[in-house]
Amino acid sequence: MKFLGLVIVCLTGGLLLYGTMDLPDWGDPASPASTHLSDYYIEHIVEETQVPNLVTAVLADYRGYDTMFETAVVFCAGLACFLLLRDFRPGKNRYYRHIPTGVMLHFKNPETRMIPGNEFEHMDKDWVPSDIIIKTVCRILIPFIQIYALYVVAHGDFSPGGGFQGGVIFGSSLILMAISYNLKTLLKRVTEKFLSIFAATGVLIYVGLGVLAVIMGGQFLDYGMLAPLVPWDPGHVRALGMLGVEIGVGIAVMAVMVIIYVNIVSEGRHDEGL
Amino acid sequence: MNNMPAIIVLAPLLGAFFSGLAAWIQKPLSYYIALAATAVSSVAAVGVFKQVLTAGTWQYRMAGWAPPMGIELRIDLLNAMVLVLVSGIAFVNLVASVKNVDQEIPDRASSFYVMYQLFVVGLLGVTATGDLFNLYVLIEITSLTSYTMIALGDKDRSPLAALNYIFIGVIGASFYLLGVGYLYITTGSLNMADVAILLKDIQGSTAVLTAFILCILGVWIKMALFPLHVWLPNAYAYAPVGFARVVAPLMTKVMVYVMVRLMVTVFGLEYIFNTLNLADIVVWLGVIAILAGAFMALLQTDLKKMLTYIIVCEIGYMVGGAWLGNSLGMAGAILHILNDALMTFALFLAVGNIIYMRQQVAFSNLQGLFGAMPWTMAGFVLAGLSIIGVPPTCGFFSKWYLVLGAFEAGAYHFAAALIISSLVCAVLFFKVFEICFFEPMAESHGHHGTAAMAEAPVSMLAALGLVSAAIIGAGVYAGTIVNTVILPFLH
Repeated sequence: MKFLGLVIVCLTGGLLLYGTMDLPDWGDPASPASTHLSDYYIEHIVEETQVPNLVTAVLADYRGYDTMFETAVVFCAGLACFLLLRDFRPGKNRYYRHIPTGVMLHFKNPETRMIPGNEFEHMDKDWVPSDIIIKTVCRILIPFIQIYALYVVAHGDFSPGGGFQGGVIFGSSLILMAISYNLKTLLKRVTEKFLSIFAATGVLIYVGLGVLAVIMGGQFLDYGMLAPLVPWDPGHVRALGMLGVEIGVGIAVMAVMVIIYVNIVSEGRHDEGL
Repeated sequence: MNNMPAIIVLAPLLGAFFSGLAAWIQKPLSYYIALAATAVSSVAAVGVFKQVLTAGTWQYRMAGWAPPMGIELRIDLLNAMVLVLVSGIAFVNLVASVKNVDQEIPDRASSFYVMYQLFVVGLLGVTATGDLFNLYVLIEITSLTSYTMIALGDKDRSPLAALNYIFIGVIGASFYLLGVGYLYITTGSLNMADVAILLKDIQGSTAVLTAFILCILGVWIKMALFPLHVWLPNAYAYAPVGFARVVAPLMTKVMVYVMVRLMVTVFGLEYIFNTLNLADIVVWLGVIAILAGAFMALLQTDLKKMLTYIIVCEIGYMVGGAWLGNSLGMAGAILHILNDALMTFALFLAVGNIIYMRQQVAFSNLQGLFGAMPWTMAGFVLAGLSIIGVPPTCGFFSKWYLVLGAFEAGAYHFAAALIISSLVCAVLFFKVFEICFFEPMAESHGHHGTAAMAEAPVSMLAALGLVSAAIIGAGVYAGTIVNTVILPFLH
């Protein structure tokens, strides 16, 4: 079986190399890939969409339909983690921590349970108190990471950046909080419900902007049709549409990152996790 | 009205997100949203089909950009038919499956409906699109959702089956993507129609040949053509019933559609049959797939497993037929996309009903089914006869076209394989009928021979009845379908 695998890998590699024989030279300005469509994009994008970042314009406008589904793929991944890993069964032993003193209570009878509140919180046996230095450093860092994430999302049209990158940065700031404190601290601030709703809403913003264009009488995702709805320069509407779409992507990616992290590190139990 | 092609794909997409949000308000709401979304999508698909029949190919420009720059949905007779098929089956299956889902995965039901709709979005999007890369993105959505749903099934065995499926599925999708990459470097375009025009001038290029091999191999892996089929039987057999019933009839058929699309629209029949001359080898592959699938089905002792091997066998029909190199064979293959989806769907509906009542479908659990579930078994028998190829049912007619095509191409081995596999299917189904009819129920029932009726709920039976009627209908109107839809598409 291993030998067969080797043979197949060699054959595939050989095929790929064989295919490269006729390819145009690397970076050749006369190759079809650099002449057929690229010229059109380079000459027309700024005038048609008023977005200086060509990559964003191609991804979010000319091929916005693809990007919408890529966002849906991200949503799928989050939902898949939730569907397969989330564990709804209650644990046998229950532990509660008295918040002011840090004393732990252990209930062996699965019937007895406390409602966690300001005095007590539900916790796990293998919880380890986190380090004060890490906590403090992360506490200082997290707000700046989040502002930077918003900056990256907002500047998607003008400089490298956009919804996917901004969403990842924002999501990682939340994950950093879970790592430096613990998962419960994070989930108290961004609950599971919040995350699921944000994941769906983010993609809905994208699809919704497209549908809005349909309602306004255009084709799906034709942001130019939104012009009567916004009080600014009508030529600039496509760029605004792209910004709206990027915000949707950012929200969805942020929520899905955290959903995936939370479900994987706690094996779906949503306890203290890593 | 203008936006109907987009609505077909968008209705379940919007439905998925609203289902996800509604789950936090009230659980059953997500099911009704899914039902409404697939219904809207089916209605739009029928509307588009009617329009395409009278007015010809419908090009829908996404965001209003002209084709090679932007993405277009290009709906001609072939994909209009497949769109109706996919959305219709998705809707009927949802009606039939609600009870199965409640029985099998009660705590995850609303997430199931979200995933289900995304899967349908993927299938519909793959069918509707006229863009090579967009096709890949939507294959990604179908794959991701189907991996997840399969892993949700049987507690012990489905995670491993899903893992195998992931490995092989990812390889298949990557092959396709690599092929698209080569095509893009050589042509500079991703629009199918545009690529087809550009390819005419560079037919001799090795890069194009590589792209062709990679794309077709990728699609073959995804559709489980014989030596590449190993992932399919376990994956489909251990999936939750509500999902198995939609993935088994549709996933492989949509991939066959993609193969036909690549052959006819992108690379061109001229390139495939005259320049490359690979047809003989592929018809042999089809023959091997048919025979291997049929004989492996004979070895099974579980009804679901047996049906999955029949799917492997049917893939051989379609691949072989499409590569015969004449329009009769291609017409047979395309007609078989429709017919096989209906037959497989009916069989899996019946199996789902049996599972709902009896939990298992190993052959040893099937005794007395004709007495206990006469309506379900009537549908099962009809679908079985159709798979065997008995005349008034649709299975006969696609086999008829395939055999005619085989004779015209001189591929007598393909015709022989068709007939042998039909005989094997006859043996298979009569073996099942015998167990269900003649072997008495377990002794615990007091009355000897006559078991009490324990039939599946009405919604499930209604769905099965509808599909059974469709099997007969597709058979009776097979000539009309071929003459008004398939042959005009090919010429």
